Amino acid sequence: MRTGVYFCHCGGIITELLDSGALGRGAITAGAAYFKEVELACSEEGRGWIAADLRLELPDRVVIAACSPREHEETFRKVMAEAGLNPFLAQLVNIREHAAWVTEGAGAATEKALHQIKGAIARVAEQEPLERQVIEVSTDTLVVGGGPAGLKAALTLAEAGRKVVLIEKAPILGGMPLRYEEVFPSMECGPCLLEPFIAGALHGPFSENIEVMLTSEVVGVKGSFGNFEVKIRKNPRFVDLSLCVGCAACIEACPARAPNPLNNGMGERRAMDFVFFGGLPNAPYLDQVACTRFAGGDGCRACLDACPVEGAVVLEDQPKALEVAVGAIILAVGAETYDASLLHALGYGTIPGVVTALEMERMFASNGPTQGMPELPDGSTPGRIAFIHCAGSLDEAHKPYCSGICCMDAFKLSHLASHKIENVQSAHYHRTLVMPGKTEAALYRKVAERARFIHFDGPGVLSVSKSPAGKPHVVLPGGAAEYDMVVLMTPLTPSPSVAELAAIADVPADQLGFFEELHGRVDATSTRKRGIFIAGTCQGPMDLAQAMNQGLAAAGSALASLVPGRKVELPAEYAVVDAQRCSGCRACVGVCPYGAVSFDASSDAAVVNPALCVACGTCVAACPASAIRGRNFTDEQLFAEIRGVLS
Amino acid sequence: MSGPQLFEPKVVGFLCNWCAYAGADKAGASQLPVPHNLVTVRLMCTGRMDPQFVVKAFAEGADGVLILGCHPGDCHYKEQNYRAIQRHRLFLRMLDQLGIERERCRMDFVGAAEGEKFVRVATETVDIIRRLGPLNKLGGPIG
Repeated sequence: MRTGVYFCHCGGIITELLDSGALGRGAITAGAAYFKEVELACSEEGRGWIAADLRLELPDRVVIAACSPREHEETFRKVMAEAGLNPFLAQLVNIREHAAWVTEGAGAATEKALHQIKGAIARVAEQEPLERQVIEVSTDTLVVGGGPAGLKAALTLAEAGRKVVLIEKAPILGGMPLRYEEVFPSMECGPCLLEPFIAGALHGPFSENIEVMLTSEVVGVKGSFGNFEVKIRKNPRFVDLSLCVGCAACIEACPARAPNPLNNGMGERRAMDFVFFGGLPNAPYLDQVACTRFAGGDGCRACLDACPVEGAVVLEDQPKALEVAVGAIILAVGAETYDASLLHALGYGTIPGVVTALEMERMFASNGPTQGMPELPDGSTPGRIAFIHCAGSLDEAHKPYCSGICCMDAFKLSHLASHKIENVQSAHYHRTLVMPGKTEAALYRKVAERARFIHFDGPGVLSVSKSPAGKPHVVLPGGAAEYDMVVLMTPLTPSPSVAELAAIADVPADQLGFFEELHGRVDATSTRKRGIFIAGTCQGPMDLAQAMNQGLAAAGSALASLVPGRKVELPAEYAVVDAQRCSGCRACVGVCPYGAVSFDASSDAAVVNPALCVACGTCVAACPASAIRGRNFTDEQLFAEIRGVLS
Repeated sequence: MSGPQLFEPKVVGFLCNWCAYAGADKAGASQLPVPHNLVTVRLMCTGRMDPQFVVKAFAEGADGVLILGCHPGDCHYKEQNYRAIQRHRLFLRMLDQLGIERERCRMDFVGAAEGEKFVRVATETVDIIRRLGPLNKLGGPIG
């Protein structure tokens, strides 16, 4: 075996600290066929010279004694490829940062560098040619969730020419902001802000690239990055979207009533009804639970009889099983607000006038249960309103985190109250106030001109009791005050869909129940599972602006990772299981956080999916039978390197 | 004049690519003095650290081993340095049974920006092993 060593002078800064003659003699003694010096190996000239020399010398193995592989490993692999040699038959040894620059005395530094070079000479002899596997991939993307993040992601991908399947559990697109007629900090209308995105997905210039599936959910995910197969269940809507003209004749005919979920159960909707008038697509849906035909078995067909378009009402509609093949998946399934009835000290559900922020929101909405003017249970307008910030957040007994949006939401509701209710008196009970951003504090300043701000310490300090007059009474150690209405600013909490999808798609959720991002600061829209991205409030509490940005970011990641016409090159370094040696103990399966290792019952052995493996080597070290090889970091290579550096 | 010849140990450092190796590179770029006795072997992650590597190093003449990974919670591969910590703790018990001082196999954590910590840990480790003396006190072959 001929091993060639190339020693880089690094423009002179290595040679002034090391004795190249001694290194050359040591390398030859350690088995190198030749030792050549190059002035600046990483320069264009240096790389060209080495490539030419490699073509001439045709060594079996190559050691480059230069700088950190963190900086230039890939540089010299390219030089190898240019010379027609397999890139994995070279080893870059760091004699600059790890020897020349850190060792006192030229003698000691040279000796240390030689040890490192001997390690590389021994290691490289064990190295083997590796190929990067190339796989065909689909560039189509599935977006799960038609709220702000999902819409933004789907539209961005569609605009770039990608095919998108956008699925949404609800009968209309838009998600949570549809319920917010005013959005902080600028009092814009939520449905109006979203309308261009919803209409864009349904009928916009790039909508032919988006297949929208409503009343649909993911029930199975198989495969991996580039090649996912996703099973979808499309639940019956009982209205054919391709035929319905949205005339509402069926709605007027429907005799059944049920609490309106859009308004948190306040007010009513008919069993056949719009989610709200103006929601898109402009078609009603039938709620089976409320319908007397399905729930009561009375054979009612009033909606069908009233419908002027034949076939638009489909009472025999059934759930459908669909399957799509995509290369990437973006999960944008949103969040909920915390269940206020769990906050026992705050009187929700037991004291009249105690409401959640979302209920207050709906009461302020013109299409809400009270047509835009908040009402107390007796029908009167509240004159004294208390906003309880951090109701359930920053509280270990409930949600330990700051939801980040509730202070701004409280300022908005307070601002609306002062506009809509004459002489309203508002008070904000707060532990801390959060209003980050360049425009947000203006709203606070406006509210602070007329509302009172009362600080309290810690969770459990404040309670709401019923006053003798039957009104909510906010009690603090320093005193109590009576109000007509108390608004609980509850935090955003993970949607139940997160836990369901975490199990279905094998993407981890974090301890709080949100999807776990790959890295909270630098890559919050990627997950541990390659090809599956997350966006919006399913990743953590955030406002509309952040959710939109995450949708854009996730779409960007999907665009960058899957490019039409470009096959995906998998890293050459991954773990391989020798099925003959594998005892089937599955220790490797348990230590892989990327789901790359699985147990294959047919071969009775573990298998590693190279598309998912990140080559950390943990399974290799965990295998008690030494049945797993970490390519380019094999036991033999590392043993040789250890022997070499100590020789 | 010269004092008594001090024992100079051989120490092998196993460094994870993302934090510890980068920290050592940082020490290099800052030209901080690292004991000449420490030679380095790069792993992508301390999760790859097989106890056999320590045994091999001892058999090849090392007097000590230093395993350096990312700080707990900072692992480039999510949690694999915790696997390395678990294995290291078990391995220390085995060293007890073999009569080898635990100090000869140290695990610590060095962030990518912690060039100075790398130098401190390396220097401390070499000093401790220098005081312990050679692993092979009898001088015969090991293994």
